[in-house]
Amino acid sequence: MKYFTSSLFLFILLMALPGYALPDNPKKHTISGKVTDKSDGESLVGATVFIKELKTGTTSDQYGRFSLTLPEGQYTIMFSFIGYTSSVQEISLDKDFTLKIELSTEQKELQEVVVKSDRYDQNVVKPEMSVFKMDIHTIQKIPALMGEVDVIKAIQLLPGVQSVSEGSSGYSVRGGAPDQNLILLDEATVYNASHLMGFFSVFNNDAVKDVKLYKGDIPANYGGRLASVLDVRMDEGDSKGFEVNGGIGIIASRLTIEGPIKKERSSFIVSGRRTYADLFLPLSSNKALQNNHLYFYDLNAKINYVINDNNTVFLSGYFGRDVFSNQFAKMRWGNGTGTFRWNHVFSKKLFFNFTTVYSDYRYLLGTPSGSSSSFEWNANLRDLGMKGDFSWYLNTNNTLHFGGAVTYHMINPGTASGIGSETVYSSVQVPKNYSLESGIYATNEQKIGPHFIATYGIRLSLFQSLGPGTVYHYTPNHIVIDSTVYKPWIVYNTYGGIEPRIGLLYDFNGKSSVKASYARTYQYLQLAQNSSAGTPLDIWFPASPNIKPQIGDQVALGYFRNFRHNTIETSVEVYYKWMQNVIDFKNFAQLLLVDTLEGQVRTGRGYSYGIEFLVRLNEKIVSGWVSYTYSRSFRMIPDIEPNPYPAPYDKPNNISVVLNFQLAKRWSISANWVYATGAPVTFPTGRATIAGKVIPIYSGRNAYRYQDYHRLDLAVTFSSKQKPNRKFSWDLNFSVYNAYNRHNTWSINFVQDNIDPNITYAEKIYLFGIIPSVTFNFHFKHHE
Amino acid sequence: MNKLLFSLLILLLATGCTERINVNLDNSYVRLVVDGGITNDSMQQSVILSKSASYFYNQPPPMVSHAIVTLTDGSFLDTLKEDLPNNPGIYGLAKDFRGVIGKTYSLDIKLPEVIGNNAEYTSSCKIMKVARLDSIQTEFNPDLGKNGHWLIKIYAQEPGDEMNFYLLKYYRNGVLMSDSIQKWSTSDDKYFNGSYIRGLTAFYINNSRTWETLHPGDTVMVQMSGITKEYYDFIQQVQQAGYQIPFFSGPPANVEGNISNGGIGFFTAYSNSFAKLIIPKK
Repeated sequence: MKYFTSSLFLFILLMALPGYALPDNPKKHTISGKVTDKSDGESLVGATVFIKELKTGTTSDQYGRFSLTLPEGQYTIMFSFIGYTSSVQEISLDKDFTLKIELSTEQKELQEVVVKSDRYDQNVVKPEMSVFKMDIHTIQKIPALMGEVDVIKAIQLLPGVQSVSEGSSGYSVRGGAPDQNLILLDEATVYNASHLMGFFSVFNNDAVKDVKLYKGDIPANYGGRLASVLDVRMDEGDSKGFEVNGGIGIIASRLTIEGPIKKERSSFIVSGRRTYADLFLPLSSNKALQNNHLYFYDLNAKINYVINDNNTVFLSGYFGRDVFSNQFAKMRWGNGTGTFRWNHVFSKKLFFNFTTVYSDYRYLLGTPSGSSSSFEWNANLRDLGMKGDFSWYLNTNNTLHFGGAVTYHMINPGTASGIGSETVYSSVQVPKNYSLESGIYATNEQKIGPHFIATYGIRLSLFQSLGPGTVYHYTPNHIVIDSTVYKPWIVYNTYGGIEPRIGLLYDFNGKSSVKASYARTYQYLQLAQNSSAGTPLDIWFPASPNIKPQIGDQVALGYFRNFRHNTIETSVEVYYKWMQNVIDFKNFAQLLLVDTLEGQVRTGRGYSYGIEFLVRLNEKIVSGWVSYTYSRSFRMIPDIEPNPYPAPYDKPNNISVVLNFQLAKRWSISANWVYATGAPVTFPTGRATIAGKVIPIYSGRNAYRYQDYHRLDLAVTFSSKQKPNRKFSWDLNFSVYNAYNRHNTWSINFVQDNIDPNITYAEKIYLFGIIPSVTFNFHFKHHE
Repeated sequence: MNKLLFSLLILLLATGCTERINVNLDNSYVRLVVDGGITNDSMQQSVILSKSASYFYNQPPPMVSHAIVTLTDGSFLDTLKEDLPNNPGIYGLAKDFRGVIGKTYSLDIKLPEVIGNNAEYTSSCKIMKVARLDSIQTEFNPDLGKNGHWLIKIYAQEPGDEMNFYLLKYYRNGVLMSDSIQKWSTSDDKYFNGSYIRGLTAFYINNSRTWETLHPGDTVMVQMSGITKEYYDFIQQVQQAGYQIPFFSGPPANVEGNISNGGIGFFTAYSNSFAKLIIPKK
């Protein structure tokens, strides 16, 4: 293994070297630097750097940095970013240059001046596929439930992504399970992205800068999940002046303050949000509701400090809690994450990031003390991790990324105990478990000739179960025989994975391209959940002597083409995905507070495939996207069902229309319409009567479907007058969720009639009718 | 205990609306359905045999008559007699039959005609012992729900030797109020194994449901039965059957009984313990 690892890295290095070694190359110099927003000093992620003469370029990384090595000569370099005015620099390249590029927000009047045809377009020429990036301004235009715009709800509108259930924050990417998505907030894993049972996500828009979803072709620096990576980056704060942003909606309010600590050197941002639907409950005429509490709050904070040109550090944190209580029950749950990051520039060509992350998800469930049934149940999952990532802009044709990460997982699946002196309950502790997940990777992006780019890399992952731990031994029929207890810090089980990641691009003169990719991914940690919408009572459980890691292989092929000066981006992608060791649970599984969870797991294989059509518009008046997806997803788990059966997320036809029209300077209209084939469901094909109750008799799993799902949402935004140097601005947003009031199925129950117990009928539950709402957003900016 | 919290959460959070809909369902083959059992006292000594039907059959279940039903405990004990013509499909033991704690009983069924590819079915169940019910108490809580709830609490010493499972039913003035499986209470001893059960709330009775609520002066009796794990799981599965709440429910599945050859239902055997009180008049 060790030999293999080192030879592999050597191979990747050697592959990258030829560009360096050619003897009669002209003298070369490096242009490096950072692209930032002129108004607030924040770095621009994914800004394009285009060399007009060479018709080549690069994009800025997650921290706005770029590096390009070119032969000596005269160049016209264009820096651009959607929504910003491009900046053109004439450079006589006879030495290395470090540039600080500041782009300013596009003034509508200036837009026509920009020569769009020269724009280096990422859709076509960037060697990545199955990726969707959105900045927060795009997300904010999407009409939303209760007017509370949401990152996850926006993600659910993308091709290849399915919501698992109406209103839920869970999503399935290309037929994968919701727990196969890695969700990162400033590099820290978010284990449960839901607020209020999923109707909201943990991401507060005012604190988020941009999001990027990888549906396949997952870069080698990410690992640990089979289906996707959602990379959410927090805003850095305005380093030039103070800003106060806020919003008042019908169920929640937000407030964000940002500004410089030391001008243009360091900045901070603090953002908070709370729902207040429950504040009106005491007014309710229903006595039972008056003492109820149901709310969530969250806080985001980040400090950014530029020590010097070569060193930047930031510290960011998130804390959120949901609180629910009434006279007989209380429940609290939420995430906390913390990230410390140091960006270091070793040289103009070698960048380094060091990251330490902490992540914590916990919940508490209980009843008030003082009664015979008083109890409290606590569970949590904590991660402590470190990462080092290098980017080496070796030469014009090769960019190397390599690094490693290690994470220590600490899981307490549940401690339940009676509270108070009257309680009848004693205490129950489900054994805690500890594990170490590590990975190293190296990947090279290599230009071969004018049209071809290959990205090839590998990730080696390792998962070690650490003591103290209890491992139960099972018969082939899943019955516990005995157990082994391991002492602290003993490695009692190890799994490893070799994960190749390959991407190819052939570019037809910058207007269109063909891309292909293959990625293998390993997943060592999964969620014990067999309901479709999910609850906050998450139990993540690791690979172990009884549970093998899940393995995914995905191949994808795509055609990408732009029209009308790159303002219309189109793509078609086909993919096929195989999954091994996927998990499901036996019928009537009991997942909460049980020692022998692993005995209820049933494993097998899965596969999914599909084709995704996407048209993305970035015109002056119309922006958004239209997509159609045809996809299937199946599971083969013989202990559940002898034949392959549709996965719960198998919704073959899927249409998303997400459009924003800028009607006039102060008026804009947004609309989205989604359509999906009804989700698969198991229905009864007979009945039996037992002790007075009619019970259903089922046939094959997921043999039926709900009615098709479709919904239209609308929003109108009216903004204050735009004037330069204006300190205060606002907008008023009216939105309607489910505009034509379709009663989309949430679930179907089979109910026995109260009066005549021989009569049974089907009853549909739908969650939302038409829901109008209004939100007022304000923005105050003070720049000296 | 989890079930209670979940049902509260569902009430509060599933603000959704419901409407009756038409669903087209296929029909699967007919199965034998067995429901009933024996006890160590005179409470129950009969089983009901019926047939499954299409889901929207909407009539009383078709009964199975003229079967030969025998009870054994290793050796032949008795043949259960069908109560014809009054109650076709109900097969009872002799009135003086009493099961013995610790013994395993088998039920053998020979049908006059094939149902679900089989004419012979068997099933067996052991009579578990039950903790002695010391006493019960009732309490009226006016804050629960619109018109308040009556709570029935139980007091008993849990033996603590092994995993025990309990089934609870209540009677008002001698009439069984837990008259369908939906109104039964169950508990395992996970949270109070070996300790004294000091006032565990076994029943929450909604005072708005006038036909089943309690009044001062009523005689309340609780029946506690020691049951097997399999029967405990079966009761829970039957209670949940048909309802899907996306937050909590796993995929729907057929209830797992103890009848051989693909029969549905459960032949149970259990022991009982009782406690009684008269609700004091204020």
